[in-house]
Amino acid sequence: MNLFVADPDWGWWIVGYFFLGGIAAGCYFIASLLELFGQAEDQALARLGYCIAFPLVLVCGLFLVLDLNRPERFWHMLLQSEVVHEAFEQGWPWSAAGWEWMVYAPMLKEWSPMSIGAWAVFLFGGFSFASCWAGVWPAGRIARLLNWRVLRWPWRLAGSGVGFFVASYTGVLLAATNQPIWSQTDWLGALFLCSATSTALAALVLLGRRPHVRDRLWRLDRAEIGAVGLELVVFLVFLVSLWSWLPALLSFPMGWLLVGAPLTVGMAIPLALRLGWLGTRLARPLVHATLVLAGGFLLRYAVVMTPPALLEHRRAITVEAAGESRTPAGWFVVSPEDSRPRDGGEGASALNRPPALEPRSKVFVADEGDKVTR
Amino acid sequence: MPEPVGFFTDTTVCIGCKACQVACHQWNDLPAGRGERTSLPVLSGDSYDNTGSFSDVNWRHVKFIEKFSPDPNRREAAWLMMSDVCKHCVNAPCLEVCPTGAILRTEFDTVYIHEPACNGCRDCISACPFGVIHMSETQHVAQKCTFCYDRLQHNLAPACAQACPTQSIVFGTQDQLQRRARERLDQLHRDGVSEAYLYGADESVLGGLNAFYLLVDRPETYGLPSNPQLPSRRVPASSLWSILTALLAALGMLFAFRDRTKRSGQAAPNPPSSETSTPHPTEGRA
Repeated sequence: MNLFVADPDWGWWIVGYFFLGGIAAGCYFIASLLELFGQAEDQALARLGYCIAFPLVLVCGLFLVLDLNRPERFWHMLLQSEVVHEAFEQGWPWSAAGWEWMVYAPMLKEWSPMSIGAWAVFLFGGFSFASCWAGVWPAGRIARLLNWRVLRWPWRLAGSGVGFFVASYTGVLLAATNQPIWSQTDWLGALFLCSATSTALAALVLLGRRPHVRDRLWRLDRAEIGAVGLELVVFLVFLVSLWSWLPALLSFPMGWLLVGAPLTVGMAIPLALRLGWLGTRLARPLVHATLVLAGGFLLRYAVVMTPPALLEHRRAITVEAAGESRTPAGWFVVSPEDSRPRDGGEGASALNRPPALEPRSKVFVADEGDKVTR
Repeated sequence: MPEPVGFFTDTTVCIGCKACQVACHQWNDLPAGRGERTSLPVLSGDSYDNTGSFSDVNWRHVKFIEKFSPDPNRREAAWLMMSDVCKHCVNAPCLEVCPTGAILRTEFDTVYIHEPACNGCRDCISACPFGVIHMSETQHVAQKCTFCYDRLQHNLAPACAQACPTQSIVFGTQDQLQRRARERLDQLHRDGVSEAYLYGADESVLGGLNAFYLLVDRPETYGLPSNPQLPSRRVPASSLWSILTALLAALGMLFAFRDRTKRSGQAAPNPPSSETSTPHPTEGRA
């Protein structure tokens, strides 16, 4: 475990994004699957899923922008800022030269989860907007287009795919760091995906208590039990993957919260209630749906906040635990930076290079070949 | 094309004078404190190391590592000193993850943050295994050692190396530095300092560190990880498990939805399809 890193200070905006983004993505793919494989009576439930997903993804986008230290530069995630500037210099959009630059403007590092995730959230916004629109106006032009025979399956399958990606890439993003705990396990992506499914089902149960939808909520019964059960299994695997670090983790309160709270509040108790193991008095959909949502939030909160807490307690962690480091496998190279030799070119920095780098400088050049520093 | 350059830092001759830190502040116009509220440096009170760590305004950090013998009276005490800086990794984690392309590799093989492109997402901070990068509280972009890129462009040595009075920080091309480091290591071994070794000179640490060190204790003693990793190495395995879990979740939901479809398509659907106030099946248990 590497305890010599700095804290990226990802706080409440990111916790909120992980939680709401998971619900949005989960609602979308559940709605798509219901539309494709459900009955005609399930359409109202599917529409509700789409109508939860779109507002939430808007809120997520807002959270992500607010989290940036320079929010006005949010578009740098999607477009190469230097290329865009050059395109404007060349007269975009009124000149062919400007367009020649602009076509190269999209920014994508497919090996960086944050880069590819920014595009996924952008695309997911489009999918959820169109599906929500079609849900609100089922006889409208967009609804007719999305239900067109040629588009019906591809649209929903592609939207579900992007939804699954949005639900899980956040966990992969945390793993692709050098922070303690996050980079110690390969299971955060899978765990977030399971949590997205269970919290989305819980949100549908909570928000679906109205005519036409309420009567179809029973369709989600077994899916709910299965989703929480799968989440429980993956959470246990996640804990096993952190087995050697559990003593360090359990030496401070946030570690206890990570290990205990999501497991009990979000998984064990709702599952026991659902299966009738805790009697029938509390076995109401509202109770376990609320618990699942609370557990999903606690999971995101504890996962995001544990490394900073661990770094705060770094002096108390045993030297043995701090000293060891897991050898990276490196069995599948995805990045041009990986195994790049010394002086081996630009590596992963080929994108967004300005024509010339001109750093702020105190070097004063009196005339050619004669340099004076002040 | 310029040759790759770097720093060879021989910690055995560092005297902790902090001339490098001062030179870095002076050349790069870095303030003593962080912003308006703390315009003066704060004394740590427990060490000569008053800056404590890297920060947005401390791109170099001279570490004072107090080592005591294990006896209760701590009869033997010694300092290890080390002037730490961005390692300008050959396989740079910060550069790899940066989603805006603000972190670039220069023609000198050093790693440079192009500030106008940075939007402050802080992914580079989470990726750096050495805790080098911090956010500026005034400019709100990522900050770290530039390897005095402006000076390199004019064939000048970085300010810290030029200021170092003991040549603990040596600037040069990688060929020169590697040769010099091996010679120094051999000399120390001949003199009986068998624990001396080079950290980051070869490819074992992130493909090599352009700023590498001669150490006489474990890397962790100096606050350096023994085996830092490139973030992308985690991506394939994490993605694989996520994809498999997604398939499992999708199949589970299909099973849940389809199975009920069949049952409700039969003669006695359960529950009734009436659109009146049919209670949720679980509510019946209450």
